[in-house]
Amino acid sequence: MPVTVSQRQGGGGGVQKQPSGGLAEVLDLILDKGLVIDIFVKVSLVGIELITIDARIVVASVDTYLKFAEATNRLDLHQKGGKDLGEFMGGMTENVTQGGAKGKTKGMLDAGKEKWDEIRGTDDENEKQSASKSRRG
Amino acid sequence: MSTEQEENAPRTGVGSYIYGIVPVGTRIPDDLAPLPQEGDPGIGLVVAGDLAAVVSDISTDRPLGTRKDLMAHEQVLNAIAQDTPVLPMRFGAVVTDDDAVADELLTPHQDYFVRALEQMKGLTEFLLRGDYDQTAVLTRIVEDNPEIQRLREQIAGLDEDASYYDRIKLGEAISNSMDRLRQQDADATLDPLERFAEATVVKEPGGENGAVHVAFLVRTDHRSDFERAVDELGDAWSGRVNLRLIGPTAAFDFLPEYEAPDQDEG
Repeated sequence: MPVTVSQRQGGGGGVQKQPSGGLAEVLDLILDKGLVIDIFVKVSLVGIELITIDARIVVASVDTYLKFAEATNRLDLHQKGGKDLGEFMGGMTENVTQGGAKGKTKGMLDAGKEKWDEIRGTDDENEKQSASKSRRG
Repeated sequence: MSTEQEENAPRTGVGSYIYGIVPVGTRIPDDLAPLPQEGDPGIGLVVAGDLAAVVSDISTDRPLGTRKDLMAHEQVLNAIAQDTPVLPMRFGAVVTDDDAVADELLTPHQDYFVRALEQMKGLTEFLLRGDYDQTAVLTRIVEDNPEIQRLREQIAGLDEDASYYDRIKLGEAISNSMDRLRQQDADATLDPLERFAEATVVKEPGGENGAVHVAFLVRTDHRSDFERAVDELGDAWSGRVNLRLIGPTAAFDFLPEYEAPDQDEG
């Protein structure tokens, strides 16, 4: 069964090694951890506006969004073929899982989209600003 | 060589962005890309005593936090952390100029920074993240749980409105099962890996499919053993949990506590 599983995933088993994380991991480290300058420097501190709070919310949604998209893709494949899933399940009846995964994914997908739209609506300005600025550098 | 700027020339709108602190004499890679800034000033070192701060010029009139800003901060520190201990600053540390970096950050707190760097010597941080394969984990949960199977069958074929409460019940049961699974998997992660680490921090996995998220402080001479053990875990979990090993990173999660000294220089 493990062979079938890794084929189905396309990437195979094994651990992905990355020198740096994606934006989600980066945010987790550099916004919440590390030495805080205010503790050490008082007089010459320059207070700079940080827009990272918004970034964090958007990133969380994007990550979720992408995962749902991926999950849906997979499910589309199964629905066409049906066989992959059966093999992968190793004994479980097909229609039970198909229905289950589909139902759950659809619900989460809707929720994810609502969240995303909500954020897009309020954060459009910030996003445009950062996009145009970062391009210059 | 304490500063690259001409003295006595107050720069309006430009400050010094600080990435982290390294022992004096540390060679940093040449090709580091700083936070985006007009004129592309590059990354430099501000030296004071036994310490050097990694800095670059930054406009003080734009908000920081674009994707590029954030990734630059992390990547500069990670590149340095490959072969030398570095004390990472939290994102967004800006002071007026390089003199302030030497005179207000490095010199007065020299003892703490030197001690912290000493403690970090030969140690490096790794992050292990795992995400469940959604289909696989849901399949297993349904298989293992007769009550969930029963709910599923009950809902099958019913109109969405008619099955509304049963669907919530089913979702809740699945969510609870996933929480239990996460607990087990956190233990199953620490079990084979802990022995190669000096310290560990278990973090929130996050996300719908998040399985494990653990930071490890690893001695550089244990690194290959650690990575091998991670590979073995990855093989054992193949198809169920997709593992990613990130690092070496600056030891963000394992910085020694700073205790402010009693005397207050005004």
